[in-house]
Amino acid sequence: MLQRTVPIAILSLSGLILMLAYFSPMTTSWGETVLEWFNILAAVAFVLGAGNLLAVNLEKISSRRPGWAYAGITLVSFFLMLGFGLLKVGAVPNPEHPDLHFAGSYDTAASPFGWTYEYVFSPLTATMFAMLAFYVASAAFRAFRAKNTESILLLGTAFVILLAQTAAGMFLTGWIPEDSMFAFLRLDWMKVAITEHIQTAGMRAITIGIALGVVATSLRLILGIDKSYLSRS
Amino acid sequence: MNGTGNGTGNGTGNGARTNHRFLWISLAVLGASLSVFGTAMAAQASGGDAAQETVALSKSIGVWCAALLTIGILTFLYKDNPFYKVCESILIGVSAAYWMVNGFWTTLVPNLFGKLAPGLVREVAIPSLPVSETPGLDMALAFVPLLLGLMLLWRLAPKGGWISVWPLAFIIGTTAGIRLVASIEADLLAQASATIRPLVVMKPATPAGADGAAAVGAAAVAATVGALDFWGTVGAITGVVGVLSVLTYFFFSLEHKGAVGKSARLGVWFLMITFGSAFGLTVMGRITLLAQRLEFLFKDWLGLG
Amino acid sequence: MDTNTHDRQGGGGGGSFLARLGGIDRRWIFLAIESIPEGSRVLLAFDYDPASAGELQPMANAMVHHCAARGHKIVFMALWPLGKQMADATIDDVLLEFHPNYAYGTDYVQLGYKAGNEAVVKLMATNLPQQYSTDAAGAALSSLPLVAGVQDLAAFQLIASISAGYPGAKEWVQYANSAAPEAFTLVSGSTGVQVSQLLPYYPAQMEGLLVAVKGAAEYEMLVTAKYPSADKPELLAERLGQGRVRMGPQLVAHLLMIGLIILGNVAMIAGRSRGGAR
Repeated sequence: MLQRTVPIAILSLSGLILMLAYFSPMTTSWGETVLEWFNILAAVAFVLGAGNLLAVNLEKISSRRPGWAYAGITLVSFFLMLGFGLLKVGAVPNPEHPDLHFAGSYDTAASPFGWTYEYVFSPLTATMFAMLAFYVASAAFRAFRAKNTESILLLGTAFVILLAQTAAGMFLTGWIPEDSMFAFLRLDWMKVAITEHIQTAGMRAITIGIALGVVATSLRLILGIDKSYLSRS
Repeated sequence: MNGTGNGTGNGTGNGARTNHRFLWISLAVLGASLSVFGTAMAAQASGGDAAQETVALSKSIGVWCAALLTIGILTFLYKDNPFYKVCESILIGVSAAYWMVNGFWTTLVPNLFGKLAPGLVREVAIPSLPVSETPGLDMALAFVPLLLGLMLLWRLAPKGGWISVWPLAFIIGTTAGIRLVASIEADLLAQASATIRPLVVMKPATPAGADGAAAVGAAAVAATVGALDFWGTVGAITGVVGVLSVLTYFFFSLEHKGAVGKSARLGVWFLMITFGSAFGLTVMGRITLLAQRLEFLFKDWLGLG
Repeated sequence: MDTNTHDRQGGGGGGSFLARLGGIDRRWIFLAIESIPEGSRVLLAFDYDPASAGELQPMANAMVHHCAARGHKIVFMALWPLGKQMADATIDDVLLEFHPNYAYGTDYVQLGYKAGNEAVVKLMATNLPQQYSTDAAGAALSSLPLVAGVQDLAAFQLIASISAGYPGAKEWVQYANSAAPEAFTLVSGSTGVQVSQLLPYYPAQMEGLLVAVKGAAEYEMLVTAKYPSADKPELLAERLGQGRVRMGPQLVAHLLMIGLIILGNVAMIAGRSRGGAR
């Protein structure tokens, strides 16, 4: 019962409370309380993630698996950042409460935590995503083949958007007067027509489909039909 | 001759020694940067002009640190290598700690501990924490997320993993509850409403003739509802046809033959145009991110341009 | 830059298709912020991190300058942990630099980040003080005149989400706009990757949508043209010109992409003909 019935009851009850909260002012406060608990659990999930990181990397170090030194670097940087943040090392004092150490701000640029964010975390994250530009170029060369009508449509649209988003679009078709009967051939107009009508229509249908899927899945979970989350125990 | 495996770090031969050398060089550079920075931060306490100098020094060190880490990540484009692995390991450690610290100070302290022990939180961290009108009730209710949170952390324990299913069920139930209604409202009903629009679009009304005389016939119609907007009408019809045909494509309970099949095929064409457009916009986004990093390297680090 | 459509004056969401053709990107956000009364309370949600700052920071800078130039009172918050620091950087680089008369607590407030993703939006929609009992620095909301007495999102005239993904503009539409559709205007600036998801919400549920760095560049142009800085014009041009600077490499990169796609297809066709000849 503890491993199946109670979790199913918790899931159903929390889901139902939040659904009811929409429909009655009297139940709105119940929903607000449940949401506040949810937000606290979301913060606890960060602690869980950090704990998991510790467990995995400590195991890697203790068993001397290949690459264990990198696990050591991960843990050193983790503990340094954690110490800077949790202990508010070098925090800028709060002007209204300068004597209270933990009332200070730990994330300004003047503190070690803020410095590490600005000059370590931020460039690393940004560069990881910047590399995607090269992967896009690689994919464009290797994978985009105009083999059939559908792929020709995809590539043609991509060309229109790629050109219209830059000065090339104005250079190639900007000379066509806006009030002429050939104005629809202007790349900027084609881009707006594609994004505002065709792309919107396609994405609208996808959004409707996703919404139906979300509704079905949520109902299955709340009604206790779908119990796949219990298989973790 | 060991011509392979220089970058794999598999613990054998020349490759492994090269990897460890890279690793120790990287750690030495990082350690040197941090110790210089630590000295700079300590010297900052002395105040005055020395403080300004140390701030400039810490910024200079920071820019160098950021540049080296940026280049370290970019080396992956050639191939996987220890320098990249060091940078990746630092990123993983720092980001996990960052998220945990943020979650702790922004949510756990004010919203959980602030209700369980408001006096202590006011004394130590948040003196301005509002005083609750119902502290007893708040404290009692706060035991629920505290208990669920501890049960969630039990997931790390070697035994009793089922205990963490209770808070997981709570999280899933809450998410399902809010998403169900929000999806119906914003993604189903509102989208259907946005699709069902007049197929014939008219231009805004035009004013009366130049001589002020009342308009007649077609001009009278134009004076109230305007002339037919051809491209607007085409756009409206395209939108409705597009949504219906794409929905037909995703409807698998009917075999895609005959009229249904043709409609589904039209839906596929709409989807191909959609994805082509999405690709074009994605390229712009990715290039911008790369441009920003190169801006940093050339302008902020090397001082060129 | 699309100068041909620069002077076209479209209506707020109405007008014929032809009139709206040039307006999808930057115009409606500009008009949305212009149309609310001066001194309105505005919520800016910084739902992005440094990985997307290349596209979104120019939008954020321009939006903050625009709101401050109109005298709007700004409440900053973030659904992403790193969003708070993006907001702090914008406050330092733009708000306090070009509008030093802005006072904390009366003209702007930084609420900071809270964990919970869409649940944060949902809770703010009905009970903001329960979500944010203090601001990011620990000051009670009741001590800050701008947000004292604010009960829910209906207290804001405009909500802008500068969004890179989840949680972001989509969640603001689903949980905030749906809760009180007539109470405030919702606008968003989005990365190129995410914008596809947001197009269905425009314009019925989201009145303005800035698309990628092109939208940012166009919006920057409109804002700096209407609200220049009398005493720091070069600095304004630098801080609110990042989007336009980043448009420069786009032309070359886009032509390169097109070239690579064509090259790949030429190679495919050549390979096929060689295979056929054998």
